[in-house]
Amino acid sequence: MFVVLRVIPGDPAKMLLPEGAPQSAVDELNRHLGLREPLWVQYGIFLRSVARGDFGQSFQYRSPALRVVVERVPATIQLATTAMLLTVLAGVSLGVVAAVRAGTAWDYAGTVLAVLGQSLPNFWLGIMLILLFGVTLRWLPTSGFQGWTYLVLPSVTLAAFPTALVARLTRSSLLEILGQEYIRTGRAKGLGERAVVLRHALKNATIPLLTVLGLQIGTLLGGAVITESIFAWPGMGKLVVDAIFFRDFPVVQTILILSATIFVVINLVVDLLYTVLDPRIRYG
Amino acid sequence: MGIPHLSRRQFVAGGAAALTAAAAGPRPAAAQARRGEIIAGLSERMLTLDPANHYSISSTSVLRHVYDPLVDVTNDDKFVPALAESWRATSNTAWRFTLRRGVSFHDGTPFTADSVVFTLKRVRDNTKLIKSFVYQDIEDVQKDGDYAVTVTTKRPFGSLPAHLTMLGMLPPGAGANEDAFFTKPVGSGPFRFVSWTHGDHVELAANPKYWKAGIPKVDKLTVRFIPELSTRVSALRAGEIHVIDRVWPDMVQTLRATPGVKVLDTPAIEAQRWHFQLARDSVKDPRVRKAVSLAIDRNVIIKDLLLGYARPVVCPVPPGLLGHTNLGQKPYDPEKARQLLKQAGATNLTLDFVLMKDLYPKQLEIAQAVAAMLGDVGIKVNIRNLEIATAREQRTAGNYDLFFSGWAQMPHDPDWYFGQWFTKAGAEKLTRFSDPRVEQLIAEGRVPDPKVRQQKYEEIDRLLWEDEPEIWPYYTVAIYAISDKLRNFEARRDYYVLLHEVGIA
Repeated sequence: MFVVLRVIPGDPAKMLLPEGAPQSAVDELNRHLGLREPLWVQYGIFLRSVARGDFGQSFQYRSPALRVVVERVPATIQLATTAMLLTVLAGVSLGVVAAVRAGTAWDYAGTVLAVLGQSLPNFWLGIMLILLFGVTLRWLPTSGFQGWTYLVLPSVTLAAFPTALVARLTRSSLLEILGQEYIRTGRAKGLGERAVVLRHALKNATIPLLTVLGLQIGTLLGGAVITESIFAWPGMGKLVVDAIFFRDFPVVQTILILSATIFVVINLVVDLLYTVLDPRIRYG
Repeated sequence: MGIPHLSRRQFVAGGAAALTAAAAGPRPAAAQARRGEIIAGLSERMLTLDPANHYSISSTSVLRHVYDPLVDVTNDDKFVPALAESWRATSNTAWRFTLRRGVSFHDGTPFTADSVVFTLKRVRDNTKLIKSFVYQDIEDVQKDGDYAVTVTTKRPFGSLPAHLTMLGMLPPGAGANEDAFFTKPVGSGPFRFVSWTHGDHVELAANPKYWKAGIPKVDKLTVRFIPELSTRVSALRAGEIHVIDRVWPDMVQTLRATPGVKVLDTPAIEAQRWHFQLARDSVKDPRVRKAVSLAIDRNVIIKDLLLGYARPVVCPVPPGLLGHTNLGQKPYDPEKARQLLKQAGATNLTLDFVLMKDLYPKQLEIAQAVAAMLGDVGIKVNIRNLEIATAREQRTAGNYDLFFSGWAQMPHDPDWYFGQWFTKAGAEKLTRFSDPRVEQLIAEGRVPDPKVRQQKYEEIDRLLWEDEPEIWPYYTVAIYAISDKLRNFEARRDYYVLLHEVGIA
């Protein structure tokens, strides 16, 4: 990535300076940014600095890149966590209802919602929600990051796609499990339908769900560019796009390192959770 | 109406309050009038609190409220006193500024000549700063007592007062620890800095001791950064914010139909200018460039694509600015264009038209319309809509025939435009323009005397108008939308959102 950023067309100094800046100013600024050194020297400096916890200075903000990125982390985590909670609550509920009442109007309604959630583009859904709840009804703020009410519309927008995914996955996994013999045994023992579905079937249906949720939360924490742009949300997604656009190499590198770390940690947690949910993995 | 009943306690408390008020003396009218909060929604995110380290319109719109420049510029392009009470050129290479007395920075430090010396030497010497290149012609900055400064320059620098409108003055103490200073900066402007949530908003509070009586009109100013236009428009329509900038023409109708919202527009100091790569064989011949110009129907672009929110160009320098003269509109004459192309032997001509993606309103539609117009006279156009950084690299490498761009004549002076785009050194990696006559006139136009400058610039205008190294399709119109609660808001020609004198109902 270090090399890719530097070989793609685009000069950081030209992006920082106004269009009419003379070439001498461009060269001078690139010298200050350390970009006149040979690539291998730049890479050596980068590795040495990262080893000391120094991710370099942001070209745009002229402050430490790590600080610039970390400042955006709370907004990103708030949005991703809320969207993930919504996804789990709404997606699993919809999936369970659709599976338990398979072939009924509930099932069809759930399927339609799931198809809509996966097919409506984020930007369209976000703008429609803003127009309805922000501009027309004035129930919720249209954009910004200043309190819990500001979270509602972006998190609903962001959760739409994964909720639909989780709902469909829950429905199909649950339907498959509900047809298995141990479920019939449970019912024959006289267990209530609620206990059969929630305690015995859903628990086993959770394992494929966990994999999907793990991947989704990694994606959400990595940044939700379109949602953040529409709601002027100051998260990492918009930051990384702007940083790529302005060729702010230190910020891009820092975000990539941070995102990769988050992704690995979440996948590790998911793997560990498998062992909690499925004793066969624990003892296998 | 009956007489209100007062208890003895209320009577005593009221009397005490009246006595206290009387003892304190009359309050200034300004303090009584100041109330409320304005929330602005700007199109670009702010990147820095250092006034010397950006040329961003949004950053200026915020920081101009915190820092004062030496010289200010009005919306009708007049340079007026700010922290300098007066200024004059003492020679072609020296300017003397007489400073305003009785001005303090927000921390109580008095504004003196030391501030000016520090600010100017800092921007010249610290070449990391984005504005540094503009001030490299400064030879020395000498104070003459506490309230006068002489700036000597290496060559005539007639546009220095204009450039100083874009440079906020700093207290000399800022130099001790710049990193700390610029996290909580101190200026002398009408608002004090309170906080900055990166990527989201900045909060400013009124400076009650501002040197200009009656300003500011509100207690608090919050600037939110909302790059997405539809979101900015929604926030204004929902009543969450009071003013937005950079409205596109096709949003005007929706905004005008919204109760409580007003749309204001003004001719900007920006001319669209699509420049040719003059070293390319395809457009080296002036007849070919003239043919391209004749084949473009500018009125169609202005009326049908920009919905009337643009003005026909009559000179490379927009009206109102030093250096403007009316040279008449460029004609639309496709038949003559065909003849010129034939004379130049330019058959089967193909032009690469490079655009910087999403930078200008309706640019892709405009480029497509231009491609169709040029197609009518036999010129094929390849539109290359590239990411900005890539487009600029392509320009440096010379890989284009025509480049879609605009130029806001900052700082309300054409010296920068001419010096950058029409000198050999400036244009070397841009348009490859080179004309010794023009270069000579630009050098002669750098003197402080505005009459001489006007005369030289008019000559340059005529030469360029004839040679057509660029196509000037239209002057841009700056469009803003505001809440009808705002009082005294001025739609600026330079795209700044300045709220010093704006009140709220």
